[in-house]
Amino acid sequence: MSFPRAAHGNGGIGVAVTAGLSASQSPAGSPRCRGAGCASVTAAVVVCCCCPCCREKEPVRYANLMYDRRVVRGNTYALQVVPASTQLDLFEIQRQREARRRALARKRAKEQMQLRTPEPVEGREHVHVQTELYLEEISDRIIEVDMECQTDAFLDRPPTPFFIPAKTGRDVATQIEEGELFDFDVEVEPILEVLVGKTMEQALLEVMEEEELAQLWAHQRAYAELRNAELAEVQRLEEQDRRYREEKERRKLQHMQMLQKQKETTEKIAAWAFAKRYLTDLIPSVFNNLRESGFFYDPIERDIETEFLPWLMTEVEETLEKKVLGRMMLDSLIRTVVEKRLDAFSQEPLSGQTEAPAEEPRPIDAALQEADETEAADLPVTASEESDQPVAEEQLSRRISFQLEEPDRAETEDLETDVVLCPFRRMSLSHSRALKDVFQILALLISS
Amino acid sequence: MASTRISAQLPPDIDPTKAPIAFGRRALPKLNEEIQSPEPLTQQHALMALCDLVHDPEKVYQAIQIGFVENLKTLLLHHDSTVRQKTTEILCIMAMHNVGLIQKGVISALAELLDDPAEIENALIPSPMSLLSPPAGAADILHAGLIPLLMFKLKSELDEIQELILDTLSNCLRVEASEALSSGAITILKQKLTHSSVTIRSKAARVLLAIGTHPEGKVVVGEVIPVLVSLLEDTDPEVQASATGALMFATVKPQGRFSALGAEAIPPLLKLVAGETSKARLSAIKTLTMLAELPEGRRKLLDHTDMFQQCLNDPCEAVKRAAEIAICVIKWKPY
Repeated sequence: MSFPRAAHGNGGIGVAVTAGLSASQSPAGSPRCRGAGCASVTAAVVVCCCCPCCREKEPVRYANLMYDRRVVRGNTYALQVVPASTQLDLFEIQRQREARRRALARKRAKEQMQLRTPEPVEGREHVHVQTELYLEEISDRIIEVDMECQTDAFLDRPPTPFFIPAKTGRDVATQIEEGELFDFDVEVEPILEVLVGKTMEQALLEVMEEEELAQLWAHQRAYAELRNAELAEVQRLEEQDRRYREEKERRKLQHMQMLQKQKETTEKIAAWAFAKRYLTDLIPSVFNNLRESGFFYDPIERDIETEFLPWLMTEVEETLEKKVLGRMMLDSLIRTVVEKRLDAFSQEPLSGQTEAPAEEPRPIDAALQEADETEAADLPVTASEESDQPVAEEQLSRRISFQLEEPDRAETEDLETDVVLCPFRRMSLSHSRALKDVFQILALLISS
Repeated sequence: MASTRISAQLPPDIDPTKAPIAFGRRALPKLNEEIQSPEPLTQQHALMALCDLVHDPEKVYQAIQIGFVENLKTLLLHHDSTVRQKTTEILCIMAMHNVGLIQKGVISALAELLDDPAEIENALIPSPMSLLSPPAGAADILHAGLIPLLMFKLKSELDEIQELILDTLSNCLRVEASEALSSGAITILKQKLTHSSVTIRSKAARVLLAIGTHPEGKVVVGEVIPVLVSLLEDTDPEVQASATGALMFATVKPQGRFSALGAEAIPPLLKLVAGETSKARLSAIKTLTMLAELPEGRRKLLDHTDMFQQCLNDPCEAVKRAAEIAICVIKWKPY
């Protein structure tokens, strides 16, 4: 009974120590439970509390653990436990048999003592019947009914009519003196307290509401302040940013303008230097060009060139023309003379003619020399001798025409002007000398 | 004997002018029906009862769900003045609870009453409006084009009503200021700034603050800067706080800054910053930061940086940050 429990649900667990032993043999001499029909062993206790047969019979006895027989004592190392010896003593066996017999007997006695209904008569049967006035259905299931209840939405309940009960009974009057019914001051106190209390409570509620509102407002105000501050900060930063940006733009613009100006200036300088260099030899080259193209002229030279020389040329031209004319005339004269001579010589014999031309050339020579002399004197001043020359030429040509023979091949090596003297080439050799002289005169004429 | 234990219920009141209130959830629907009855007496009774019930936010919520607001709007135009007055009161209390009255278009209904000749309602009308306005109702108010009307009323009404109107205006103008500016708000507000009543001055300054948050408003508020600077030395801290706030926004633009410097705003602002418990501290620090962006301002404030150093130890986070920024700006050099 080391761990006794007052109320066992299942007695077998109660004492672990005892449970093991309850079904087995106990060591000799240990007291047994005296409860009827209980074979369990108890140590120093009359009744064991664990087995159900004894539970209700005798009160539980508590024993000390130290003196419990069932607790193993001593050295447990070398203990050879013989839990239950299979060899039983004769005495033990006898005792057990007896106990069993006694238990059986007890049971039979109990059974017999119970009241029973007598057995039914032959041919009849016992039936359970209810004898009350109303039959009742008996079942082990309890009849349950679900009931619900709910408040409906209130129908409009008309106000309760004022209840004035009918008058019954007898009228009786009585007189109440002061102080008989109640003491006002005492009675009124709780009422007053309630009144005042409720009023205060109402007032407190209202004040609390107002306070709550005020706090809400204050909270909102604080938040609004913070918000305003943040908003102002944002706007300030925006403003600052705008200013900085504008300043940056302006500075950039300024810088760009400066760069532009610098670029222009360098270009200008470069252009100026280049132009200067380019134009350094402008003046000399210009003057060179002008000089080369003849813009700088000596006026006298120019004058001589423009006026004098053309005049001179024209004069020379005229003179030459005159000379040419003279020569042409001479040409024609010579030609006619030669033709005539030819005609004349073709008709006459040749011998008579050689002397005649021999003589005639000499006067012709003389005439020619005279003409030479006159012409040599006239050479320097040709202008004034114009009129004489054609005459002299005419004379010469007449003479030559008489003297000339038929034109044979003449020695024309001395001739300087072939054009004028073409007709003379056909002259004969005999007349060559004379012709030579004629030609010399002509050359002189031409060269003047 | 009656016990004196205070209960959670409202004390039972036996008021003959009130309709009896049904139990539990049935109370408000019943009152709803009563309100729609043709008899004005019933309506009055119902409204009185409703007025008491509406102090409870749960009831307000339920009322809006049931659809009370429509009936109340109709009642606003009732011929009987008591009915109108009570309805306004009820709307006022409902507005305090902020349970979404705005969507029901209450503001436009209230606006129609603004022109009511009887004085009593007029005293009450702006109060639900001012309660409804921040900030969601502001759009509604603007939408209904009430601002010129409010400005007009501002000139002629009693002081308390003016305060309410100014409150409403400050909330609305935060959203949009052009209407107010076009109806000549600045002249009116300038007058109010020199009003004898303290609350009106502070609220007028608040309205100017709200106008100043917009860019076009800043230019206009710049004209009022000298008056605001003189208000900085006012005795009432509320006025000081509002004036500082208005200055803070007005000095964002350079013209405002120059005029503020010209009006010698720096000494009073420094005093405000030095005061440990002043409400205007944050705004003052911010305004000084703005002024420090100008070269003259910076020069003057370089001597006072120790005051900002003190502010760095303030327990309020925003003040600390503002002081840091202020010191940065003051010590900034262009190179």
